[in-house]
Amino acid sequence: MKLFSTQIIVPVDSNSVLQGALEIRHVLEETIAKFNLGSQVSVVETGSLGIYDRGVVLAVFPDDVYYGNVIPSDVEEIVTEHLLKGRVVSRLAIDRSLSFKRLVEKESGKSQQKIVLRNAGLIDPENIDEYIARDGYGALAKALAMQPGEVIQILTDSKLQGRGGAGFPTGLKWAMVAKEQSEEKYIVCNADEGEPGTFKDRLILEGDPHSIVEAMTIAGYATGAHVGIAYVRGEYFMSIARLKKAIKDAQAYGLLGDDILGTGFKFDIEVYRGGGAYVCGEEFALLESIENRRGEPRNKPPFPPQQGLFSKPTVVNNVETFANVPSILLNGSDWFKSFGTPSSAGTKVFSLSGDIVNRGIVEVPFGVTLRELIYDFGGGVKGGKHIGFIQTGGSAGTVLNDKYLDIPLDFASMKAYNVSIGSGVVLVAASDVPLLPFLAEVAHFFWHESCGKCTPCREGTLQVKAIMDALVNRTADPASLQRLGVLLNLLSDTSFCGLGQAAPLAFESALRNFQSEFDTALAESHVPETCQEET
Amino acid sequence: MELDNVTRPAGQAQPLSDEDKRFLRELVETNRIEHHGRLSYMDIMFDLEHRYGNSLPGPVLGEVARLVGTSPAQLNGFVTFYTMLSTTPRGKHVIRVCTSGPCHVSGAPAILSSLRQLLGVDIGETTPDGMFALEASSCLGICGVSPTLMIDDDAYGNLTPEDLPRILNAKRAGGTQ
Ligand SMILES: Cc1cc2nc3c(=O)[nH]c(=O)nc-3n(C[C@H](O)[C@H](O)[C@H](O)COP(=O)(O)O)c2cc1C
Ligand code: SF4
Ligand code: FES
Ligand code: FES
Repeated sequence: MKLFSTQIIVPVDSNSVLQGALEIRHVLEETIAKFNLGSQVSVVETGSLGIYDRGVVLAVFPDDVYYGNVIPSDVEEIVTEHLLKGRVVSRLAIDRSLSFKRLVEKESGKSQQKIVLRNAGLIDPENIDEYIARDGYGALAKALAMQPGEVIQILTDSKLQGRGGAGFPTGLKWAMVAKEQSEEKYIVCNADEGEPGTFKDRLILEGDPHSIVEAMTIAGYATGAHVGIAYVRGEYFMSIARLKKAIKDAQAYGLLGDDILGTGFKFDIEVYRGGGAYVCGEEFALLESIENRRGEPRNKPPFPPQQGLFSKPTVVNNVETFANVPSILLNGSDWFKSFGTPSSAGTKVFSLSGDIVNRGIVEVPFGVTLRELIYDFGGGVKGGKHIGFIQTGGSAGTVLNDKYLDIPLDFASMKAYNVSIGSGVVLVAASDVPLLPFLAEVAHFFWHESCGKCTPCREGTLQVKAIMDALVNRTADPASLQRLGVLLNLLSDTSFCGLGQAAPLAFESALRNFQSEFDTALAESHVPETCQEET
Repeated sequence: MELDNVTRPAGQAQPLSDEDKRFLRELVETNRIEHHGRLSYMDIMFDLEHRYGNSLPGPVLGEVARLVGTSPAQLNGFVTFYTMLSTTPRGKHVIRVCTSGPCHVSGAPAILSSLRQLLGVDIGETTPDGMFALEASSCLGICGVSPTLMIDDDAYGNLTPEDLPRILNAKRAGGTQ
């Protein structure tokens, strides 16, 4: 590696790219060449720096100076002033506290703990050498020197639980696949990320694709599988490209292929694309989709570890779950359990969205509260407004009021307080956002995404949508809330898969926490005359 | 022939040319997932949409079904399940406006109604000049910059209704690509 005295970091995650990061990088490289700084200054692409709403951000190291809202015409000034003369361009400099870590250290003494995101924003995700320089593939080498059973034992001891929503113990899942007698087994990475408000898997794949390649390979060794498949949602063009490049580079380095690191272990990874169907995030629907069929869930049991892809034993794990694995193997299960709470080891990556000042992703130990997420990390509600409602866990999650701000979030409190964590969505709506139209949109989402295989969900989501629309339009009949309650029970009790079973959560929790909104809508409703006879 | 073109929905009943057939054969032969020699229908369908103007004409699907060894009905069932794919002709550029929760909170309804007005079409329709198809979409996974939309493979975020004419004009001027 060549040594440069100064590095300029350009984040090229898709949020930054759509604000013009690629053009800035291009102008930057030209300008550096123009002033003959090519031998001293290197331009490094990274994933997201975790700073949002500041346009294109550039970071200059080792000076530790950040510039925000950079446009192409600013570049020459940065080069001539900062790089040539060493003077910070104060007009463009932004407070580094915007990067979550600083913000939190300042305001509450807590900080982010980066396990999953340890490399995102720090390394060039397209450069395998940089990943290796940060202990990359060290966990794989370590695993290959152990017995498969020992690898699984470390994972079981670490108490890692799935981050895709259901929280199933990962070590147990791997052990189930390992004990199946089969020549053919599969490791599947669920990167279909479709839960509205979730964008963490995209940033992990864009920022550190090798961590997923490494973790899937470890899973293959531990369970006796030789084929890995990453199913990435169709719109994630950059994730797909980065992952494919990572796979290619790993093959070239002998980290994938027929004889990995000279141990004789064989493993390879293929990338499949999704076609825009939320239900394909459900593990069996996803496997159906890989098998070139409509993404409709299958009966359980048997579960994927027994009969998964092509009816063979299959591990299905979420992107974030996999991203934890290399660090756990390198640092041990006790290290991992030192983060989080007794019921929930490690960290969680949350996606902050809506009326929040610093939207973006943040990785913190379990046990964090919504208040910390929204105010310390997120910088509070936009415009200094009050919170109207918070949706946690996604559309298949709970709608909460500000009484929930101080509950520590982990798997135990989820059950105790009826709070979803799900995929880690924290969507904040300011007090001037009306709740019922929002819920009508959630109802529309489930109706649209229902795969239609089972009647309760196909028809039930349509009825929920009709009732929500009627409440919004103030045309609801007096019995509609009662009917809504019956429908929600029906959905959760009789739906075939998790989509229909979880669809009621938002409405049930909203009815609990915002009863008066529903009552007001009902009181203000007039049933159109044409309909009255029927009701 | 002229009349045929007008009365039939584009591409629906057009017989396939020899060139089409050659293209499809090569596509199916080369489009194998690298190590297993397996086919991914999804990858093939995305390639077909690129060639056939953002939709999958019936005769093309029929020929592909034959080539991959499945029935046209099976393949049709596959295609109609996935919202990114379409069997009805769509405009040159497909606009997908995210309407899910986070974008809803940040103003997606205003974006959608401005687009309806600017384009003069409703959701699911294509402009008379064949330039834009307007679609509503579930979460696009870029909620950090909501409200959002995608035009073809490009994502746009932090939108206001005022941004839309500029974005549309740039796409229009983009010409044939
Ligand atoms: C409707 C529905 C959508 C889902 N979407 C996703 C998803 O986008 N990503 C994901 O990892 N898991 C999703 N899941 C959960 C998966 O079925 C499965 O539990 C998970 O991938 C297992 O991985 P984990 O143990 O690492 O969490 C979804 C489940 C349902 C019912
Ligand atoms: S619950 Fe809904 S999504 Fe799941 S199988 Fe039934 S219809 Fe399909
Ligand atoms: S319009 Fe609904 S029953 Fe008359
Ligand atoms: S909700 Fe619109 S991009 Fe996620």
